[in-house]
Amino acid sequence: MRKRLLDFLDVRLGIRDILEQNLTKYLLPRNVNIWYTLGAVLLTLFSLQFVTGILLLVYYVPNPDEAFKSIETIMNDVPYGWLIRYLHAVGSNVIVIVLLLHMLSVLFMGSYKKPREFTWVSGFILFNLALALCLTGYLLPWSQLSFWATTVATEAAGAVPVIGDGLVRFLRGGAMVGNATLGRFFALHVMVLPAGLAALIGFHLFCVRRIGISKPPFGEEYVPTEVKDKFVHEEHPGGIPFFPNYAIKDLAVISFFLGLLVVLVFFAPGLFIPPAAFEPADPFTTPAHIKPEWYFLWAYQTLKIFPSEFLGLASQGAVMALLALLPFLDRGRERRPARRPLFVTCYLLGILLFAAISIWGHYS
Amino acid sequence: MMTLMVRNIGALIVVFLLTGSGFSAALAAESVCLQCHAGLEGRLAAPVAAWDSSIHAQNGISCPDCHGGDPTDFAMAMDPERGFVGVPEHGEIPEFCGRCHVGVKEDYFDSGHGRALHSGGPQCVTCHGNHAVQTASLALINREDCSRCHEYGRAEEIKAAMLDTDRLLAGIQSDLDGLAKTGIRVREMEGETFALRNDFHRLFHTVDVERVREQTAAFQQRGGEIRTEIEAVQEELTTRKLLGAGAAGLLFLVSVICFLIRKTYRDEE
Repeated sequence: MRKRLLDFLDVRLGIRDILEQNLTKYLLPRNVNIWYTLGAVLLTLFSLQFVTGILLLVYYVPNPDEAFKSIETIMNDVPYGWLIRYLHAVGSNVIVIVLLLHMLSVLFMGSYKKPREFTWVSGFILFNLALALCLTGYLLPWSQLSFWATTVATEAAGAVPVIGDGLVRFLRGGAMVGNATLGRFFALHVMVLPAGLAALIGFHLFCVRRIGISKPPFGEEYVPTEVKDKFVHEEHPGGIPFFPNYAIKDLAVISFFLGLLVVLVFFAPGLFIPPAAFEPADPFTTPAHIKPEWYFLWAYQTLKIFPSEFLGLASQGAVMALLALLPFLDRGRERRPARRPLFVTCYLLGILLFAAISIWGHYS
Repeated sequence: MMTLMVRNIGALIVVFLLTGSGFSAALAAESVCLQCHAGLEGRLAAPVAAWDSSIHAQNGISCPDCHGGDPTDFAMAMDPERGFVGVPEHGEIPEFCGRCHVGVKEDYFDSGHGRALHSGGPQCVTCHGNHAVQTASLALINREDCSRCHEYGRAEEIKAAMLDTDRLLAGIQSDLDGLAKTGIRVREMEGETFALRNDFHRLFHTVDVERVREQTAAFQQRGGEIRTEIEAVQEELTTRKLLGAGAAGLLFLVSVICFLIRKTYRDEE
């Protein structure tokens, strides 16, 4: 049966050739490491978000009068609704963790360098789109946490000179977070951002496949390759086939992260969903100590450190621009961490600074 | 039936006051009563700090709610024409508090304490204090306070009869708070507990030991029913955790097996 199906597809699409070129004859460097599996983990987690998001859409009502009640219904009345919602909400946090690990590993191994600038830039935009999805999704339950976290987050845009107030009104659809804000955040969260994300994931994977997997810059046999001014697909003759040799490693790490997600969903959802997320939004009562989600704490605290919010916002913009343009600024061929002491020092200090400012933001 | 309806309406009013408390508290902070008295000294300033620590303050019940007057106008705030009542006399206090606490007032006047009001018997403030009034609890029945007027013996018996139910209700409330923090819908159970606690608190004013014992049993039964509902939810949560542990264990097992298979490939490579 399987052979007949393959024959049928092979005659019409040359499926055997496609499978060979992309699976069994697609060779990866022999020393390819576990960090290379994070892309597959992210693809799985994004797919899970897509599926759970569609299931949530069946019962969710994007209206301030109904939104919280519909979430309550999902959590209490819909069979396994609580599981679907927790997988979606907690899953988004796990995605941010894996995205950070993926980016950090690419930075450490210098895989963003020429000729992989497009892969890096598209990945960096994907990271920002994922954060935008988190921000817009945060408002949808219309809880106290949603309402006030969104109020604080959108208020930050007011620090932009000249257009700040207009920008806040544009984001909110009015002076205050309300019906119009929920409408536009919902449209962005379920349509605009996922469509952009899907297109960009496609482009990112195309770049990865087209230019070829980079060789990990470790081991005595590693020598920096000379990058020519014409397109060259990086081959790895004598490497290991993607399927089954490396795909099984992908599966191992995917299973590990799914296991971690299940542990968080069943045993510690409160790490990411605090009690204020289960109280309906009340525009007249500001909860004490309202804080953004952990991955926005660095930005929240930066706004408070500088003497003016504009300077805080400008410094955030500068850091993000530096990261986005890194492949165009760091043009050396060397990728071995041991031979890039300045970069590795900045890299470690950057991680420490991010963690310190986030912790400071949490306790401030 | 009528009494039940009055109780339910009373409970609804209290729920309304509680849910609107944040807004009311914000308004209270702006009242001219607080602004003016906070700037005074001694006896006239004392109510501000005392009220601030009270259950009334937490629920947004402020000066004009009891004393009347106009909280928006410095000049007319204490004008009787704007409804200012001022400080009630000893014998007027149960009626004063009873404007809101209707059921409690009835119970009080039915009790030995209430019947002794006009012969110097205790009124609301004697046990509950005035501006610093706290949530009514069994702690109010204690040797030190009761002995100010009479022997502690009967009060102690009453307290002992109510203690188990009080603990049961506190436990139920604590469990409901915990469940609410995990997204479980507990509104209905909270409503039942709220009504039950109110009914139970009405018993606090009786000084008839036999009546307390008799009614406490009924409260225990109602509380037991809510407790059973909570236990069913908690059992469901435990089942979920078992399923979660199974699913996570399975995924980690798959992960380990895949790593082992990868190792066999590496040996071949």
